[in-house]
Amino acid sequence: MPEPAAATAGNGDAAEAGGLQVAGLVGGYSRHPVLHRIDLSLPPRRLVSLIGPNGHGKTTLLRTIAGQLKPQRGAIRLDGRDLTGQGPHRVAAAGIVHVPQGDLLFSGMSVHENLLMGAYLLRDRAALRARLDWVLGLLPKLAERRTQIADSLSGGERRMVGIARGLMAGGKVLMLDEPSLGLAPVIIDQIYDLIAVLKEAGHSILLVEESPERVQELADHVLLIDNGTVAWSGAGAELAQREELLSTYLGT
Amino acid sequence: MTIETLSQILLTGLTVGGMYALATIGLSLIWGSLGMLNMAHGVMLTVGGYSAYGAVAALGLAWPFGLLAALLMGALLGGLIYLGSVRWMVNTKDFETNIIIATFGIAIALEAVVLQIFGGQPFGQPLVLHGAFDAGVVSIPYQNVVIVLGSLALMAVVSLLMRHSRLGRAIRAVSQQKEAAGLMGVPVQQVFALVLMFSGMLAALSGVMLTSSTQLSPALGQDPMIKAFIMCVVAGLGHVGGAIAMAFGLATIEAATQYWLGARWGFPMLLTLVILVLVMRPAGLFGRAGIRRL
Repeated sequence: MPEPAAATAGNGDAAEAGGLQVAGLVGGYSRHPVLHRIDLSLPPRRLVSLIGPNGHGKTTLLRTIAGQLKPQRGAIRLDGRDLTGQGPHRVAAAGIVHVPQGDLLFSGMSVHENLLMGAYLLRDRAALRARLDWVLGLLPKLAERRTQIADSLSGGERRMVGIARGLMAGGKVLMLDEPSLGLAPVIIDQIYDLIAVLKEAGHSILLVEESPERVQELADHVLLIDNGTVAWSGAGAELAQREELLSTYLGT
Repeated sequence: MTIETLSQILLTGLTVGGMYALATIGLSLIWGSLGMLNMAHGVMLTVGGYSAYGAVAALGLAWPFGLLAALLMGALLGGLIYLGSVRWMVNTKDFETNIIIATFGIAIALEAVVLQIFGGQPFGQPLVLHGAFDAGVVSIPYQNVVIVLGSLALMAVVSLLMRHSRLGRAIRAVSQQKEAAGLMGVPVQQVFALVLMFSGMLAALSGVMLTSSTQLSPALGQDPMIKAFIMCVVAGLGHVGGAIAMAFGLATIEAATQYWLGARWGFPMLLTLVILVLVMRPAGLFGRAGIRRL
């Protein structure tokens, strides 16, 4: 596998050495396991994408990693540190940022306050200032919307705020759950441009996406999740050549 | 109508309004931030009043210790309500309805405890300011001034805290999007515990001020709590400032009704106004209908 050039110098907000390891994960909802022994590895500065049909465990996997669901078996580690069974606020503090499906913005707060909530765990004012500038630099449109209440934003703007709020946390691993869901194609392109920029800047990203053609060039590694198991995994570029996989699992 | 009558009505409205406002603050805070109706709020007022009485009259401590005892007991009670009910129920189905029953049960039990310790006979609150000053046409007891200023001060503290502090923002985040708040690193369970303890302290302080112009009895919190509930509903859920404004407004209307129509028409008039408001503005005067997005 080719090594991407590691840009180590001077980027405080980019991921430091971060590695997410998931081993033999069994989980889901009580008495109804959705995930059956999932193994996943996200090395630092890589983008791993989870694809697969709806309702087969992609979101459940992200929710379990984020600590919102307790795993029944298996282990979740970040940089060798065991996070299995920790609550969401502990997982967030350890550096795993989950940008959930459907944005889940603080609807009565302004865009600015939503962003501040993203950096809830950051208490240093100067660092907060710097991070806010960095995020607004990546998403300049949000700067114009800063005082607007989240409830009054368009769908695309809401998605941008959701991602920006996640970036404000400055975590080691960024998990994005279907950032393209329900958006117009032109907005989806903007979101994917941003993800490419983040990847280029050295972030470790775990990206859930339903349509494989959006991730096959972007992802270093792709996992096809079917029925709660990893049905196939390989390099993103490999995926395009495996038409039989796509037709079997995704009907394309 | 003479100027004396008018001043008397306004003065009664202001004083009674201050008492309603005191009862309303803690209830409104919990309702707005946690989405739960705390039926034990009334008994928190009661415990606050009795704690101050116990420290000052029974143990013979100086009056600041009476306030301190009330604050401590209020925080303790809030913590107990969290540990005994909210902690286990908050992530369950139908939390909003089940917690009403649970806290109602806690209220009944605690009222029985107060009755057991202090007995049913009423006491006077030793923490009271005596005397009055002459304001031209009417004389105003100092105690009433304390009640009105106290309710405004507590309201100011709550709204400053909610609007400008990091904790306040976290509380609002939990109330608007519990799941996302957790993902941002907010310890949601701790926030629930803190809000309950804080509102217990507010209620206890209110209880001391309320009982200083009435009397201590085990059921003393019940009536203020019903009034507080009315204020919250009319103002719109969780709108602390609106609920306080309502407390003064409705108390003045109640006082005027009692003067012109007779004392027994005060409460029916209040309830009629509540029904009218809810028919015309179901989200309350200051509330706005929630928008749900998928």
